[in-house]
Amino acid sequence: MNHSPFHQGRHRHPLTRREFLWNSGGGLGGIALASLLGHDHALAVSPTPHTQTLHHPPRAKRVVQLFMAGAASHLDLFDFKPALIKHHGQPSDFGEHVEAFQNGLGPWLRPVWNFSPYGQSGKMLSEVVSALAPVVDDIAWIHNMVGKTGIHSQGTLLQSTGFNRPAFPSMGSWVSYGLGSMNENLPTFVVLPDHRGLASNGTKNWDAAFLPAQHQGTVIYPGRETPITDLFPDRRGDFINPASERDGSAVLAQLNAAHAAERSGDARLDARIRSYELAARMQMAAPDALNITKESPKTLEMYGIRNDVTTWPTEINAAEEIDAFGRKCLAARRLLERGVRFVQIWSGNDNGHPRRNWDSHEDVQRDHGPLAQGFAHGAAALIQDLKQRGLLDDTIILWTTEFGRMPSGQGGTGRDHNPYCFTNWMCGGGIKGGVTAGESDQWGYKPLVRSAPTEVYDVHATILHLLGIDHTQLSVRNNGIDRRLTDVHGHVIEKLLA
Amino acid sequence: MVYHQRMIEALPLCWLAAVSLSAVRAEPAPLPPPSAHPVDFIQDVQPILASTCLSCHGPEKQRADYRLDVKSTALTGGADHAPNIIPGNSAESPLIQFVASLDPDQRMPPKKDPLSPAQIGILRRWIDDGASWPEEASAAVPDKTDWWSLRPLVKSTAPAMPEGGRNAVDAFIAATLKTKNLSLSSEADARTLCRRLYFDLTGLPPSPEEVEQFVRRCQSETGPDAAWQELVDTLLASPRYGERWARHWLDIVHFGETHGFDKDQPRPHAWPYRDYVIRSFNADKPYSRFVQEQIAGDILFPGTLDGITALGFIAAGPWDLIGHAEVGEEKIDGKIARHLDRDDMVANTLNTFSAMTVHCAQCHDHKFDPISAEDYYSLQSVFAAVDRADRPYDDDDATAARRTNLQARQQDWQSRVHALTELARDRGREALTSLDARIAALDQPPPSRTQGWHSNLDAVQNTTKWVQIDLGTSTDLKQIVLHPCHDNYNQIGDGFGFPPRFKVEISDDANFENGVTVVTDQSTQDFANPGIKPVVFDTHGRARHVRLTATTLASRRDAFIFALAEVHVLDGTGKNLAAGAPVSALDSIEAPGAWSRSYLTDQWYPGSSASPDNPALPDRAALAEERRRLIDQLLGAQDASALANAETSLQEVSDELKSLPPTRLVYAGTIHHGSGPFTGTGPNGGKPRPITVLSRGDVRRPGKPAQPGAVSGITALPARFNLSPEAPEGERRAALARWITDPRHPLTWRTIVNRVWHYHFGRGLVDTPNDFGRMGGLPTHPELLDWLATTFRDDMNGSLKELHRLIVTSATYRQKSDTVSDHAEQIDSSNTLLWRQNRRKLEAEAVRDSVLAVAGKLDLTMGGPSFQDFVVTHPEHSPHYEYHLADPENPALHRRAVYRFLVRSQQQPWMAALDCADPSMLVEKRNQTITPLQALAQLNNQLMISMARHFASRVASAGPDLDTQVTAAFLIAMQRKPHPHELAPLSEYAAIHGMENTCRLIINLNEFTFVD
Repeated sequence: MNHSPFHQGRHRHPLTRREFLWNSGGGLGGIALASLLGHDHALAVSPTPHTQTLHHPPRAKRVVQLFMAGAASHLDLFDFKPALIKHHGQPSDFGEHVEAFQNGLGPWLRPVWNFSPYGQSGKMLSEVVSALAPVVDDIAWIHNMVGKTGIHSQGTLLQSTGFNRPAFPSMGSWVSYGLGSMNENLPTFVVLPDHRGLASNGTKNWDAAFLPAQHQGTVIYPGRETPITDLFPDRRGDFINPASERDGSAVLAQLNAAHAAERSGDARLDARIRSYELAARMQMAAPDALNITKESPKTLEMYGIRNDVTTWPTEINAAEEIDAFGRKCLAARRLLERGVRFVQIWSGNDNGHPRRNWDSHEDVQRDHGPLAQGFAHGAAALIQDLKQRGLLDDTIILWTTEFGRMPSGQGGTGRDHNPYCFTNWMCGGGIKGGVTAGESDQWGYKPLVRSAPTEVYDVHATILHLLGIDHTQLSVRNNGIDRRLTDVHGHVIEKLLA
Repeated sequence: MVYHQRMIEALPLCWLAAVSLSAVRAEPAPLPPPSAHPVDFIQDVQPILASTCLSCHGPEKQRADYRLDVKSTALTGGADHAPNIIPGNSAESPLIQFVASLDPDQRMPPKKDPLSPAQIGILRRWIDDGASWPEEASAAVPDKTDWWSLRPLVKSTAPAMPEGGRNAVDAFIAATLKTKNLSLSSEADARTLCRRLYFDLTGLPPSPEEVEQFVRRCQSETGPDAAWQELVDTLLASPRYGERWARHWLDIVHFGETHGFDKDQPRPHAWPYRDYVIRSFNADKPYSRFVQEQIAGDILFPGTLDGITALGFIAAGPWDLIGHAEVGEEKIDGKIARHLDRDDMVANTLNTFSAMTVHCAQCHDHKFDPISAEDYYSLQSVFAAVDRADRPYDDDDATAARRTNLQARQQDWQSRVHALTELARDRGREALTSLDARIAALDQPPPSRTQGWHSNLDAVQNTTKWVQIDLGTSTDLKQIVLHPCHDNYNQIGDGFGFPPRFKVEISDDANFENGVTVVTDQSTQDFANPGIKPVVFDTHGRARHVRLTATTLASRRDAFIFALAEVHVLDGTGKNLAAGAPVSALDSIEAPGAWSRSYLTDQWYPGSSASPDNPALPDRAALAEERRRLIDQLLGAQDASALANAETSLQEVSDELKSLPPTRLVYAGTIHHGSGPFTGTGPNGGKPRPITVLSRGDVRRPGKPAQPGAVSGITALPARFNLSPEAPEGERRAALARWITDPRHPLTWRTIVNRVWHYHFGRGLVDTPNDFGRMGGLPTHPELLDWLATTFRDDMNGSLKELHRLIVTSATYRQKSDTVSDHAEQIDSSNTLLWRQNRRKLEAEAVRDSVLAVAGKLDLTMGGPSFQDFVVTHPEHSPHYEYHLADPENPALHRRAVYRFLVRSQQQPWMAALDCADPSMLVEKRNQTITPLQALAQLNNQLMISMARHFASRVASAGPDLDTQVTAAFLIAMQRKPHPHELAPLSEYAAIHGMENTCRLIINLNEFTFVD
């Protein structure tokens, strides 16, 4: 089922040993990896990538995807619409029939917060995300994103996997598959979910689907005793101690080696031996990567992390959101600098009540307020921190959400879903800061040029392009179709390229 | 509508289709004049087409399914505005309008220099002259049906039996090996074979005793062949066989027990389909019946348990709850959700049974295989009436048959009663109709069909929970009536949530601290569950508040609760003082429409229209009597007596139906009788939704209606079912089931034998078990595949057990897996020709089951609701499935993995790390990975740790010394004694770190996870 992403031709039937190792190693790096395997150095995770196998020289090596679950309002954060202020309270008139998810087509609703210009680019930002001011000139804006439907699950899958139904690999999985690992002691693709729970579709948003399992996003909860599932023995295993672990690995390796020696030529046996070595190394590397105790007070402050607070109010509040998102952003920076390729950070969980996500049908100010301050503070800190460490040059940051919200009000203070228009922004490796590639119309209802929207395929194509991959060439045959992240669509957004 | 370049780029496949003809006509371009000279197609026209059009509309790409190198397509095709060429009228020909358009976003060819006026003139002249196109100048359309898997199945003759061959399988395999100068390996030793067969057929390791017994039989007088036959028979007869092979089937059909998508709600009634599959494998049901039941069991095998539970197949895949339950069919998003839902049913059916990728024909004709878009939508129309929902069934065939029979008789008597009543109506319409209306008004159920009040869930049964009613003023109370709930959750039904121990108190103090009168105290012994019968307590006293306190909660199997539908508090006049009174409670689940505190006093409860304090009842009886007299009068004595007879019979039949054991529910494909956005087709009499061919798969672009049918590329069978438009929807599914199982179907029989082969050898004869089309693999042994398919179909009558027996008794299957041969490695390093058996890595389920088995903890209880190895938090909205909170010591978790509750949004992390099947995907074969996270899972997961401990205590009794214990553990895990070089380090390790650590190590060895 899985073939070299560069093999576009006829299907080859036999799963050769080399192909098998490709499957277990993965990545473009797998080409070189497979040649190494002549010496029977079977690896469970591929080593340093081999950029000579990329389609073109890359501008970036790493990606951070910030995902706002529940559908964040472009109109109240980034996409300033004076017309909504002017016509606030007047009956909304879209000039055509509109299908809205909950028929939330009340009067025009002005942005909930005031907007002001920031940076040299003079980009208008809502005061609720003004924490982004120091980095606003690094950011490129896309205000004419369109989705397919106004259903959360479909919209979330579309933005995370490029398809609006389950069973397709997420962008992070494709990047992991295409580029392989830069540090075999850590997962290639890491997910930092909202601390309250998972967004709609759960783990499907970082699924490897038909790609090999090691390309699935590994969930990390930075604050937990066991930040990665089963990283350490379950606490019931009180008979386990460091000495038993050390001696046990040695006996395991010894017996497995003897077993493999009687069964020469089966690289899986060697790969499994190696997987236990790597597991032991991950037990060292992962806690180290997540240990923020050695970070300076200045850094902690920059990320808004409040070690002095032990209990938070039960009501949603900005300081707690800033702290929570900041911790994830700081963990992301530490993972990125250790060679993790793709980090997905979530803001907002499922659609429960009271709202703890961006699905503000009832009250934009109440829900968007703390969540927006939270992500803006953390994202700004992450961008500045990466920059001062020289990592922003080859790290792409993408901010996205499943769709936007309507310029008309719902129940006076909320907004209904708007799959016809929303905002994405990007910055970092290979991105030209301060530009806008695509505007929305005067209401922020649809793209200004309706026939020329930007779709998720274009965003994905652009990110793969910056990573050195031609999105039309990275494919895997599944169930009769050569599947790509970008389906049969996608164009690199040239205007965003530095 | 203006189409810009950007749009065209976004929709490259369907360029021409995206540009509507009206758009072309709206702004007619001033056309260059036709060429003044006569033109020749080959010399003048074809070069223009070749240089400017064929790159997108030629042999490589056929955008909008249009090509200009094939005469027939060129002259008749053109998507929405076909034909593109109108002979004799170049000005009206869309082709000319496209190439001459002034709008660069509309002009052909896109993004290239436009055709010159002279070139356009040549094309115009050619068209005006009649568009003559010599046949020899037309490319041939490739015949998509000319493909190995679509050729008729012909029984091949087995080649000569090779030396050491045991059956025809070996003859085919050896013959192919011989062409490469290779041969079969020798037979593996008895212990290896025994372990291999146990895992293959049952998914469990043999016990050391079972291995020893087999080895002894091999050495006995009857010899190894008889011993092997006997073992094969024993294992095929074991119920473990059905569990093992059902799990393979559930991979293929993407069976899951939550909806997936947003909210990922559970499907508590999905498991009967899983049990159906296990039962069918164990019963060795003929394959064609197995297929037919899953598509149309209700029609083809009415009145059977399997005929209904099998329909879980149709509903196996994910379901978009929000897209159905919150968005109606009239909205675009609702249409998309339903389109995707049918797509899943179609893909599941054709992938599973016929290895065809029909879903590729959703936007346009299949690019490689003979499947047209119309075929695809014909298949959608087969499923156009059904939805995924709970469907009642009877637990045994006898009851099912009785119910079917009684329902038919009920219908007959109903018709008879109806006919006689209508006869009466003809004679006295006004009087009777007015009476009927009055009765109907009384029969209206209360407007809100709410459930009642429901406490929060609790993990501990002996938890106290209370609910109380505020009557507003202190009043003399005479009677308190508790109305229990009815809820089918976990098939509990009547008496749901009614606590076994409770008390009822009244007081004027809302906190029940002062002046409390105990009405009844049932907290010292269990109170029998009343079902939905009202529970009445008399009281004497004056109070404002009534409190009900449960001291032992009711079980809903996974948690403990307290729930009541309604409480009546009656005064001396019989007036219900509680009606609409405010309710408070310790805690409460608020689920609008179903559960809420206020529903405890909302006057809706099971059987409420018949309750004693409903004043409607006497009126109704009087009216009914009046109606009776009127009808008798209108009909006259003879017909009145016939009616009375019919009514008596109807009553008898209805009573008998009521006396049948209650039905159970299976989540299945069914006609749904819903309300709100998710209405289903039930209210419409189950009439199929109209299905049309959708241009580009876009619900906003419906085309011509699609008739129920299947794939036209299967030329041996009619592609359309030609059913009457009035035929019930089930006839469509029955027709599809017959089409798939027709003996002439070239794919069905090849598909199933290849799947079975795949699970026996780790790779199919075709390595793409779900795709036998041009994008799939080619068979490594086509003659063997066809021989197996015909033998299975004709000689074995579709018996899977016969097929297994044939395969596992072959010398091919019984080869060694560790043969070393540089020669063979060079020629066939991946062993596609089977010069040795493949070493197999155990699947997640087999590893889990094995760990439990060696630890002595495996519970072999079969069937029933799935065990949940997670704790659900936030069940009311989007359940959080918290696997890390599951207690590995909970015996419920020690059943075989096939009985695990399968969540879509959050797969079991341990199982997922070991590559278990994703229930959102059609899994034709599992990925096989080896990763550090897998190592961590096998080492550190709570179940592994817990079982290591049990394993250690199991072998503790083997003997006092560690050597004995280590030897026993090794023997149980690997079915062989450790070699000295293995025993020494393990014993030494055990001496320092104990047997628990040692057992944990043993279940992590490569040998435990691999089968030679």
